[in-house]
Amino acid sequence: MIRFEHVGLRYGIGPEVLSDIDFALEPGSFHFLTGPSGAGKTSLLSLMYLGLMPTRGLVTMFGQNINGLKRAQLAPIRQRIGVVFQDFRLLNHMSAFDNVALPLRIQGKSEKEIKNNVHELLEWVGLGEHMHVLPSTMSGGQQQRIAIARAVITRPRLLLADEPTGNLDDEIGFRLMTLFDQLNRMGTTILIATHDQNMIERFGHTKLILDDGKIYAEDPKHWLAKKIEGVF
Amino acid sequence: MKKERKLGIARETRRYDLPLNKASGTGFLVLLIGLMTFLAMLALSASFTLSALTEHWSSGLENHVTVEIPAAAANDSVLTSAEIFNLTNRIDNILTNHPSVITTHVMSAEEIKELVKPWLGDDLLLNKVPLPGLISVEIQDTNPKSIKILENKLQEIAPKARIDTHEEWLTDLLRFTGALQFAAIILTLVIGLTTVTAIAGAIRSRMAVYHDEVELLHLMGAKDSYISRQFQRHSLILGFQGALTGVIAGSLIMVAIGWVSGEMEVNLLPDFSMNLGQITILSLLPFLVALIATVTARQTVLKVLGQMP
Repeated sequence: MIRFEHVGLRYGIGPEVLSDIDFALEPGSFHFLTGPSGAGKTSLLSLMYLGLMPTRGLVTMFGQNINGLKRAQLAPIRQRIGVVFQDFRLLNHMSAFDNVALPLRIQGKSEKEIKNNVHELLEWVGLGEHMHVLPSTMSGGQQQRIAIARAVITRPRLLLADEPTGNLDDEIGFRLMTLFDQLNRMGTTILIATHDQNMIERFGHTKLILDDGKIYAEDPKHWLAKKIEGVF
Repeated sequence: MKKERKLGIARETRRYDLPLNKASGTGFLVLLIGLMTFLAMLALSASFTLSALTEHWSSGLENHVTVEIPAAAANDSVLTSAEIFNLTNRIDNILTNHPSVITTHVMSAEEIKELVKPWLGDDLLLNKVPLPGLISVEIQDTNPKSIKILENKLQEIAPKARIDTHEEWLTDLLRFTGALQFAAIILTLVIGLTTVTAIAGAIRSRMAVYHDEVELLHLMGAKDSYISRQFQRHSLILGFQGALTGVIAGSLIMVAIGWVSGEMEVNLLPDFSMNLGQITILSLLPFLVALIATVTARQTVLKVLGQMP
């Protein structure tokens, strides 16, 4: 479904921030992406939600080689990807309702369908009474829940999340991870970038480790061994 | 919760995904479009007026010639008024019987005095100066050769008689008004180009200000046309508002100019009025400007979005 082969990324003429990235995500899989700060997790996620194009290598999304696609052909692929950004990226001039409804409007859904789905989801994330409130007046946790609701409202085939539970208390965080789990059971492929080892252990999904611009085997011991090898 | 609702409630119905209606510089852009439309309207009206002027002069002199019988004899001696009167009547007689001539009008001394008054001034001088005989002739055949034959025939009676076809000065005048008309059209085009440049600049500036929001829509899978529609709609509204203001202001000025020119009673100029086609063109200006603004916004947005992956 999603395959990266010898993918490299550099910004301008700088050094490669990602080099020789090779991995594949099977449909319906659930992965955590972890690694030290500055390892390139956000850059890797950007490549996956097509915010950046690789400077080398092959990226296959939903069976399509994105390197060979025209710009106009990328939009329908992006519509199949939900993203929870680390900084939320909410539109502060819009209500919580309109923020969550935005992906549906982009996809041309009817207002009736939008209303039903958005109401239901905002109730589910505990913001039923805040639908018409501007995000700028909400707490960080509430904003994060809007960002998550916006990412999942279209039931995307791939959900990417960058530290999605960072600002949430344990209960809400657990509830949202349960939502991700439910989406995963419905067939959505999920990749969550996080530092939260407790959460990783609690949910026990496969781990991808990114370090020094390279992605390592899913086995943490293998990664640790490589690190030790590098140090000594 | 109550406090939060009071402070942060979304007060208006969603119109844009991007907060373009709240962007700074919106008023300035409306004013700029208004001023440009106002100038374009003045330039177009000037062009229409010059066109009417050309038509007025051309049609007034078409198939008309003036026969002049100077107050000088063949030996340069000055003729008396009675002699001039006699020669004028004989020439008029020939013209009346000529097959190509439709009508003739022998101008009276009073009419001639009225004509030369602006140049010669007071009545005292006019009474001392012998006036030429003038006959206004409506003629079918204005071919230069036929006119020359007729002139030779008239010179058999009055050797210094000549036929003025007005062609020489009319050609210069029409060339001059043509140049002015051309300048007015060029001015309109320059105004249009300036408006397009200003709108494109404003759109680029808004895209820079709302780069993060535009990028977010792009990443959510919004097609370029979806994003450009936001700017198109914004530009359409601003363009129409500005142009309508400019057209209303321009119309008021036109009415004022029409009133002033009517008061001046300048016979050389036609009445300051426009035909239905010209009024229609000016009335369509707000729609045309709104369309230009929309197309400009679309092209600008698509060009900028083309730089995104």
